Amino acid sequence: MVSKEEIIKIAKLSNLFLDENVMEEITEEMAKIVEFADAINTIVCDEDIEFDNINQIENAFNEDEVVESYSSDEVLRNREGGENGYFLVRRRV
Amino acid sequence: MSKIKQIQNLLEAKEISCVELTKKYLSNIEEKNKEINAYVNITEEEALKTAKLVDEKIATGEKLMPLEGIPMSLKDNISTKNIKTSCCSKMLKDYVPIYDATVWEILKKQNSILLGKTNMDEFAMGASTESSYFGVTLNPHNTNYVAGGSSGGAAASVAGGLAAFGLATDTGGSIRQPASFCGLVGFKPSYGSVSRYGAIAYASSLDQIGPITDSVEDAAIVYDSISIYDSKDSTSVGSKNTSHDKLNSSIKGIKIGVVKEYFEGLRDDIRKLMEDSIKVYQGLGAEIVDITIPLLKANLPVYFITACAEASSNMGRYDGIRYGYKTDSYNSIDEMICKNRSESLGKEVQRRIMLGTYALSSDRYDAYYKKAQKLRACIRRDFKKIFEECSVILTPTAPTTAYALGQAVKDPIETYSMDICTVPANIAGLPAISVPCGLAENKLPVGMQLIGNRFEDYKVLNIAYQYEKETKDQNRSLWQEVEV
Amino acid sequence: MSYELVVGLETHVELSTNTKIFCQCTTEFGGEPNSHCCPICLGMPGTLPKLNKKVVEYAVKAGLATNCKIRNLSKMDRKNYVYPDLPKAYQVTQFDKPICEDGYITLSSGKSIRINRIHIEEDAGKLIHERGDTYIDYNRGGVPLVEIVTDPDIRTVDEAVEYIEQLRLIMKYIGVSDVKMQEGSLRCDVNISVRKKGEEKFGTRTEIKNMNSVNFIAKAIAYEFERQVDILESGGEIHQETRRYDSDLNITESMRSKEDAEDYRYFREPDLVNIYVSEEEIKKYKAELPQLPHEKLNIFINEYGLPKDDAELLIKYKKVAEYYEEASKNLKNKKLASNYILGQIYRKFPTDSEKEEFNISIPPKYLNDLIQLVESRKINSSMASNALEKMLDSGKAVTEFISEKDMEGIDENTLRELCIKAVNENQKAVESYLGGKEKAFKSIIGYIMRETKGKADPIKATEIIKEIIGKI
Ligand SMILES: [Mg+2]
Ligand SMILES: [Zn+2]
Repeated sequence: MVSKEEIIKIAKLSNLFLDENVMEEITEEMAKIVEFADAINTIVCDEDIEFDNINQIENAFNEDEVVESYSSDEVLRNREGGENGYFLVRRRV
Repeated sequence: MSKIKQIQNLLEAKEISCVELTKKYLSNIEEKNKEINAYVNITEEEALKTAKLVDEKIATGEKLMPLEGIPMSLKDNISTKNIKTSCCSKMLKDYVPIYDATVWEILKKQNSILLGKTNMDEFAMGASTESSYFGVTLNPHNTNYVAGGSSGGAAASVAGGLAAFGLATDTGGSIRQPASFCGLVGFKPSYGSVSRYGAIAYASSLDQIGPITDSVEDAAIVYDSISIYDSKDSTSVGSKNTSHDKLNSSIKGIKIGVVKEYFEGLRDDIRKLMEDSIKVYQGLGAEIVDITIPLLKANLPVYFITACAEASSNMGRYDGIRYGYKTDSYNSIDEMICKNRSESLGKEVQRRIMLGTYALSSDRYDAYYKKAQKLRACIRRDFKKIFEECSVILTPTAPTTAYALGQAVKDPIETYSMDICTVPANIAGLPAISVPCGLAENKLPVGMQLIGNRFEDYKVLNIAYQYEKETKDQNRSLWQEVEV
Repeated sequence: MSYELVVGLETHVELSTNTKIFCQCTTEFGGEPNSHCCPICLGMPGTLPKLNKKVVEYAVKAGLATNCKIRNLSKMDRKNYVYPDLPKAYQVTQFDKPICEDGYITLSSGKSIRINRIHIEEDAGKLIHERGDTYIDYNRGGVPLVEIVTDPDIRTVDEAVEYIEQLRLIMKYIGVSDVKMQEGSLRCDVNISVRKKGEEKFGTRTEIKNMNSVNFIAKAIAYEFERQVDILESGGEIHQETRRYDSDLNITESMRSKEDAEDYRYFREPDLVNIYVSEEEIKKYKAELPQLPHEKLNIFINEYGLPKDDAELLIKYKKVAEYYEEASKNLKNKKLASNYILGQIYRKFPTDSEKEEFNISIPPKYLNDLIQLVESRKINSSMASNALEKMLDSGKAVTEFISEKDMEGIDENTLRELCIKAVNENQKAVESYLGGKEKAFKSIIGYIMRETKGKADPIKATEIIKEIIGKI
């Protein structure tokens, strides 16, 4: 079951706003999807997955050698050059 | 015959220059893209510049590299330096990457001609390209239908003759399903054989880049070029075997697994095409054995929980601070981030983020995420056993032909369930290909899927190629010759 | 009713690798804003991390130096939370399989502080607030850290301080971190609770985040102890919460309560593979570890015969301790070298950071040469001290300032004649000395030193003069 309170908590953790008027709809929809996901809980399976990863690769490493960083112009390209080299998080409000 | 080879033959014989060829494709795009909406960004300048380079090289008489001079498309979630890469989301609609994805780096070095970036479901979350911020892609076979998804644009670009091949990503069927809907070959390689570096993540442990092509041979040519070990991707393995030189290997005596459950309840016309395909293989000397997909019922939820959980984490970075959509007014940093996300991410994306957050939350982790991972390990283990006996597993690619416009978005669960044939390969990291196997009663293409063992991509391509060769005449309407 | 303090520490130590943990940008401190960044450490869409091999080596060494067990197989996890300084909205860290576990550090009292775990993780960027606007610089984002977590074994402010200082010294000695606290390369989260003495159950704890000064940590713990005791004494209840220390006011204040505590949704980082460290590698890393501070301390005290206080002062700075070891080689009296370093030489390095850097102009061999001359009585201590001053100023060897002739000193006959002359010409001083004024003797010796320009051996001269006076 998914409660409205849980949806509010999940939305908060997801950093998403939920309009009060769609809350009912989303709660219902989530409940349906969760019910669909619940199918797995009827299946018994106890594989050891502590270190499971799909390719079972170990130790893919970088060497500790410096490679030139990007220029701050490039880094800030999607923020029109930024503010004196910084990313602006927010203006005073 | 391979379209890629055909093009290179024409270029090397100087029957057409690469610039002329590129212009031809660009004018096709100009003419058709308004309607089918395969491309969201056309890179004419880039394409013509490279084409000129190729012509200069041809003039020197130097031999062309395997993908040199081939006009192609990239799905809009593959990072291209200085070229917008939007994932078809309002969030990234103006985002310009500052680095190249490894696959694009490889193709760039080969002087492949990038015609543009193709349409997709927002952040690859969908199966009909209807969740794209730039609108749906129509199926070139019949524009009342979608091209499928999430790589609908990639498939339509190839099916519409707007690219010789497309590179796309497949997380739960996003290459194979649109290829099947558009009458094309779609190949999802083994997880790890093609570098994921620069493919904008939907679900990191499921995503894989692969080609959408006209023919199996083209898929093999593209696969051989891009399946290279990449030090930038920790999960990269590359491939130990080239596939193109093994396409003609005999498949006499191989065992092909067939899944009964997939045939039960299948539409009659599609089932008939599947049975025909099986007969073709029997005629080629293959032995058909009945198998079952490991924990078949668990596959969809396992896929969905894993994909959403990873997506919820991967999508956290879209806060609008370093790039992406920024809201106008806010009172706090928290509110600003919430607004940036809520105002620019679509409904389906938000839904999957929420579901993933739910599956990972402390109260639900054991029941959903952890359980799904355990089942995933079981599924992988059981597949291994199947491939001790079978060379490949044969299934339909999708239980349906292309959806009519608007049909897919109605009931999410029903739509998710359509992925039942494609998701097992992603769950277990297996190579899988969709090959056209005829037209359904509604005259829409149907795809047959072959799933192979881990890193036996070459075998999948070989077995698919043998089928394609055998059925080429009967499926002629699905293949297009290059017109000069 | 008296209360007992219970403290556990989570210490973040920045590793001194050349490059960041998942990309190859430099870890250098400072720099123009966002000039040590690339698509990977900025978490740009589509990028993937790759672990720096050196980070694993350094984490294992940190574990070995603090008596931890090393996990052969470990993995990385994602800790999800949204904050502008974290460009991927998750920190790549280790959750349930940390690379090191179950270690301890022994304090000077002999008490051990257990180390629960040491894990690898990435640092975040830095927010800058200016005139109400907020900016961010990601140069620090992706710098590798180890987080060293103790059990709640600390019972006093002094123990906390000693633990941090020891830990800091160990990390410095084994070369895995510069541990410059002023640059934030060692930062502590402090968990504090109180309980009535004799009680076994722990009280509710509060956590003070992100402190990078030992002095402030001590003050914050002391304040928080008082605060919690006051609440309990007045019948109140402690709330589990995160607090911030305000060093201007010397108070702690609430940041957020447990109710809004984050749900970090840890899960395996799918973009990284398992980390395997073989027994052979562990052995190799162990063999590479230098002598640890407490080992040096024991040797200085028990083998070199230094007083405990002096030994502690020497080991406090790795470079000084190593310098001392070289400078005291083959000396009969190893304390002599320690005296020169802690006295005359330390005066040239008044601050902590100068001692830390210890950019001394002469190699330890030069100091050793000088002390050898003193030990063999070829020169006296005042000559030695003068020479050392000149050596330190110039970086030159002792032979530049003291000639063979100087070293020959004054032969005994000449000295005896001089002494007779001194007694004759200083009758007044001789009389007052004989009259009981010990001080007067000094002026007689002073006369001899003046006459010989410091070359005479004052000890020998004292003997002779006493002999002459005795005959009077
Ligand atoms: Mg931590
Ligand atoms: Zn970087």
